[in-house]
Amino acid sequence: MQIRIVKPGILSTVQDLGRMQYLSQAVPVSGVMDSLSARTANMALGNPDNAAVIEFTYADAEFIAESDLLLAYAGDGAILQAGETVILEERPYFIPAGTSIQLVNNPTGSRTYLAIAGGFDVPEVLGSRSTYITAGLGGFKGRALQMGDVLTASDNLSYTSTKILSSLKGAHINFAHWSIARRMFQPADNKRIRIVPAHEFNWFHGISIVNFLSEGYTLGQRSNRMGYHLEGGPINRIIKNELLSTGVTPGTIQVAGDGTMVMLMADCQTTGGYPRIAQVASVDMPLCGQFKPGDTIYFEDISRQTAEMLYIEREAELLQLREAIRLKYL
Amino acid sequence: MRSPINSAISFGIYSLSEQSVTLEFGHEISEELHHQISSFDRLIHSNTFAGFKTTVPAYSTLSIFYDILEVSQSDMPGEDCFTKVSNYLHQLQSEQLTQPNTPNNSITNITIPTCYGGEYGEDIAEVAQLNNLSIDEVISLHSTAIYKVYMIGFVPGFAYLGGMDQRLATPRKPSPRKAIPAGSVGIAGEQTGIYPLETPGGWQLLGRTPIKLFDANKAQPSLLKAGDQVKFQPIDHNQFNQYHQ
Repeated sequence: MQIRIVKPGILSTVQDLGRMQYLSQAVPVSGVMDSLSARTANMALGNPDNAAVIEFTYADAEFIAESDLLLAYAGDGAILQAGETVILEERPYFIPAGTSIQLVNNPTGSRTYLAIAGGFDVPEVLGSRSTYITAGLGGFKGRALQMGDVLTASDNLSYTSTKILSSLKGAHINFAHWSIARRMFQPADNKRIRIVPAHEFNWFHGISIVNFLSEGYTLGQRSNRMGYHLEGGPINRIIKNELLSTGVTPGTIQVAGDGTMVMLMADCQTTGGYPRIAQVASVDMPLCGQFKPGDTIYFEDISRQTAEMLYIEREAELLQLREAIRLKYL
Repeated sequence: MRSPINSAISFGIYSLSEQSVTLEFGHEISEELHHQISSFDRLIHSNTFAGFKTTVPAYSTLSIFYDILEVSQSDMPGEDCFTKVSNYLHQLQSEQLTQPNTPNNSITNITIPTCYGGEYGEDIAEVAQLNNLSIDEVISLHSTAIYKVYMIGFVPGFAYLGGMDQRLATPRKPSPRKAIPAGSVGIAGEQTGIYPLETPGGWQLLGRTPIKLFDANKAQPSLLKAGDQVKFQPIDHNQFNQYHQ
């Protein structure tokens, strides 16, 4: 299966679930910003969760099917259409060769994930297919997709993918009459983010902490895949110790010298020297991946134990879902 | 004074995320702490637990990343994943006290050929002037010291080096440059470093090395790693250009 990029949009990159093995050499995790959407798209096709997908940022992009395709997409940055025909999200679609597909604006979020059966076949670099543009490594030639790029999927389809494909294949666009309800896995309020207090939580003034847990913070214009600048009331410190650079990870919320907060995201540095007020609960990182500059978000504190339990429960539910799809196509 | 170090290893543990913990060995930059962190890092890598992924050593901490599902399904004692991993690491620490030290005999010495001054080191005159030194003295002080790699951070392959002669300490540029070429050797405050990739930055530039500090095509992509010893070797323009042939 093969597609050609006709219009790349503002930032489109090939990503998988990230690169963990070289953190000690300061190679960031990278990978998809919204892993729940990316995994949903892969799951709907019978792909492994870690299969490489395209992460589109907003809409205004277009690609053409250069062969028959089995595709699925999920995310809140765009809606896919083949001309006038709306393609429904979170379910497998058969798309005949020659079909042109456009991404049109979906204002509820920022990123949309396109999966095709077999996963996009780009070379594995340092154990991952994720693009890290700053160092020009991974993904499609280490860079964002451009007009004319041709991307091919691996021929190695799973048993489930093969069965889904044969159930939908024909002369016209066709789709399965089931879908994955991704939003069922997430809280209804997608701007309220659960956090666990971080190691330097007590370095900050009590009033600042109350504000942090009650006021809204707005994503600044400079927000990107490395991190989000959060604009709002300043977070003041009572302990003014110097923090030596230490390990940080996506979801870490740092407080800079001027009292502003930065939420670290997929392409963040592996170490940082700013005190940390909070760590976003892993289950809510996919929600954060859909934020865009101008969005106002809120924080709610939960315990470390609760965050861990929520994560394990979410994974158990996803495992069940994957199994249900597999059984459906036995 | 390195032999009795085992008995001195102690750390606190805190949760970094659901999938990582950080061991805190102290609160300062010292060779002693660095040695403790390196030996515990080696110990974990030779005694991994179910779900272990990787570590990130820093000045005074060692962060450990793992797969939460594998940890939760493992039979390590503890009511949740953080406790399971903490118990395991404390156990490892106490067992290590009774074991003979496994010294790291393989300290790697790396020489960084550097062309000082001129177009590659635009700020060398400023660094000299601010510190009441001649340019030759700056080059000599910078290239005779032996530096220790404390950690890799900031961007892929960037080494935090300890051991710079404090007579060279120079504040950062008031406004950062938009792009500093890969291989640039510079000073920021009391530290010196080498830019592995072209990035914006406010460092005072002394020179440039023609060698690659980071290469994603290599099995060990970063030329430097925590624990290495580094020395700068002055080279001239001709020698610099020969590296590119």
